[in-house]
Amino acid sequence: MTWEFLLEQFGVQFGLWWVILPAILLGIIVGILPGFSPQNTLIMLLPLTLAVPVEQAMAFMIALYCANHLAGGIPAILVRIPGSGGAAATTLDGYPMTQKGQAQQALVLCFTASVFGGLITTLATIALLPWLSQIGLYLRSVEMVVVMLFGLTLIAVIAGKDTLKALIAGFFGLLIGVIGTDHIYNTPRATFGFLELYDGVPLVPALIGLFAISEALVMIEEKMIVDEAGRERALSARWADTVEGLRMSLQKWWHIVWTAFVGLLIGITPGAGASIASFVAYQQSRLWSKTPELYGKGIPEGVIAPESANNGVTSGTLVPTLALGVPGGSTAAVMMIVLQYHGMVMGPRLFATNPGVAYGVFVSMAVAYIFMIFTILPLARYMSRVVLIPTTYLAPIIILVTIVAAFGERQYLFDMGLALVFGVIGYIAHKTNYHVTAILIGILLGPLFEQYLVRALRISQGDLTVLFSSTIGNVLWGLLVLSLVLPLWRNYAHRKNQTVA
Amino acid sequence: MKQPLGADLIIPALALGFAAYFFISIADLAWEAKANGVVIGSILVLLIAAQVARIALQVAKRKADLDFSPLWAPRDALGKRVGMVLITVAFIATLDWLGLTLGLLLALLAALWIMGARGKTLAIVPFAVALAAYLLFVVLLHSDIPHGPIERLLS
Repeated sequence: MTWEFLLEQFGVQFGLWWVILPAILLGIIVGILPGFSPQNTLIMLLPLTLAVPVEQAMAFMIALYCANHLAGGIPAILVRIPGSGGAAATTLDGYPMTQKGQAQQALVLCFTASVFGGLITTLATIALLPWLSQIGLYLRSVEMVVVMLFGLTLIAVIAGKDTLKALIAGFFGLLIGVIGTDHIYNTPRATFGFLELYDGVPLVPALIGLFAISEALVMIEEKMIVDEAGRERALSARWADTVEGLRMSLQKWWHIVWTAFVGLLIGITPGAGASIASFVAYQQSRLWSKTPELYGKGIPEGVIAPESANNGVTSGTLVPTLALGVPGGSTAAVMMIVLQYHGMVMGPRLFATNPGVAYGVFVSMAVAYIFMIFTILPLARYMSRVVLIPTTYLAPIIILVTIVAAFGERQYLFDMGLALVFGVIGYIAHKTNYHVTAILIGILLGPLFEQYLVRALRISQGDLTVLFSSTIGNVLWGLLVLSLVLPLWRNYAHRKNQTVA
Repeated sequence: MKQPLGADLIIPALALGFAAYFFISIADLAWEAKANGVVIGSILVLLIAAQVARIALQVAKRKADLDFSPLWAPRDALGKRVGMVLITVAFIATLDWLGLTLGLLLALLAALWIMGARGKTLAIVPFAVALAAYLLFVVLLHSDIPHGPIERLLS
């Protein structure tokens, strides 16, 4: 790969602006709606992407995919409803910023972290592709068990004052996550007799119920979702607030960079995805912060970390797809179908036989992110005004539209009912301070944790020491222990300093 | 003033009930199928026991009671909240016959009326949202969501 080749690729992709811009717009629309994942949208649009030349099809799919990842954070920030699992962690600090009247700044933080996180990791992927493609081979089930545990420790991190309640919520979520057939014998477990639960609890109805419906049911109590001061700030939203958001992002540039690489590394691993990446990045961001006590109260880093990691995943997911022929996620699998339809053979040979397509995919991603910053950043000022809509209108619209969106992923009416059930559980959890995020983390990571754990134990024929049998795994175990011990040690040191003072 | 902690037992009660059902449903399965659930369920039961003990202790010390009022508070929103849930149930139940557009239009009309919306907005908002949903889900994304009289008329 030469500079001339790369520049030529950038030229080609910029020339496809007429494909990329509509894809960004569509990606943002479906990204805002919980329930419409990029893979579903791409499957619905397959007749279109299969009919056009492969370069245009890939540019369209990539732009839609990236815009979708970015847009999930918008409702997470404005109304505490993540557009996708990858944006669930964004609600933790994004929504408190909105409640403080900083919706515009939070949106700008989300956009810049998403775009620059995605852009940096895409450029890094282009430069380091041969080496990055090998990482997926070293992260096997044993190592992935520890990665999952990194995500699960967030349950304790977000606990706040009541750890016991957060743990109950988290383990309740984990047990809900075990619903469905097991990974070895396909025997159903706790499905209540519903065939629709044999594949496990679907994420989208759980997400919609726990966040959107429960939040809307709580929202009914107030006339507006922000207080008087926040309303006045939203009313007087100026371009200066967008600039302030940009300034906040610039101040945290290093945070954007390292959390994006967390996303990239997790994205490279087939099966792992944006949800895990954003929760792990949030957990790590809080762990290494000098002000961990401010997390959950509307701190910019709490928006940056999940959003940057969430978009760092996008390029990572495509690495095993193109380099090894193993799709890194469901969206990547749809892209693989389109590439194969056009006669491309996935794997290392793709880079020799069709470098224009192989590297073009990543260049297309970089170009999509560049277009995105100019298209979406100016909208932050207007989007932030959503908080001015009275709950009289907002709550019914949220409940009924998101219930419809619950149908989107699997096209089952059952999922709409399931979303309502989770909505009621989420409402009770809200009112009694059991964390809905902890329940969601359990539902999200529980099945993956089980899958990797059982696979590792099957290989070792039930010997638990297999979990400590690999060097990379042991390093990760060490880091996990450090993640758990460091906050305790820091609290101890802080208390000791206060006693001395 | 005693702390009302009755509602704090609902999630543990739901979790405990589910854990019990889970244990029954996996009783005859191979160890690979139940190992993870047994570990998670057992820890969950222990955590619930700790929470129940904690609340019982508070009640015994007369610092708390088993009042459920935080769940319903504020009382004036209770009617709206129950109404929203019932409308959503009705919307899902009738979706097969009414289809997305008409079902959403009627459900939103009812929901907004319950929420206290009156006048022009009561007519405009449901119509606009139903139209947007029709354009997005039916026209643009060709979703398999049930079609009703309006979708059939426009197709």
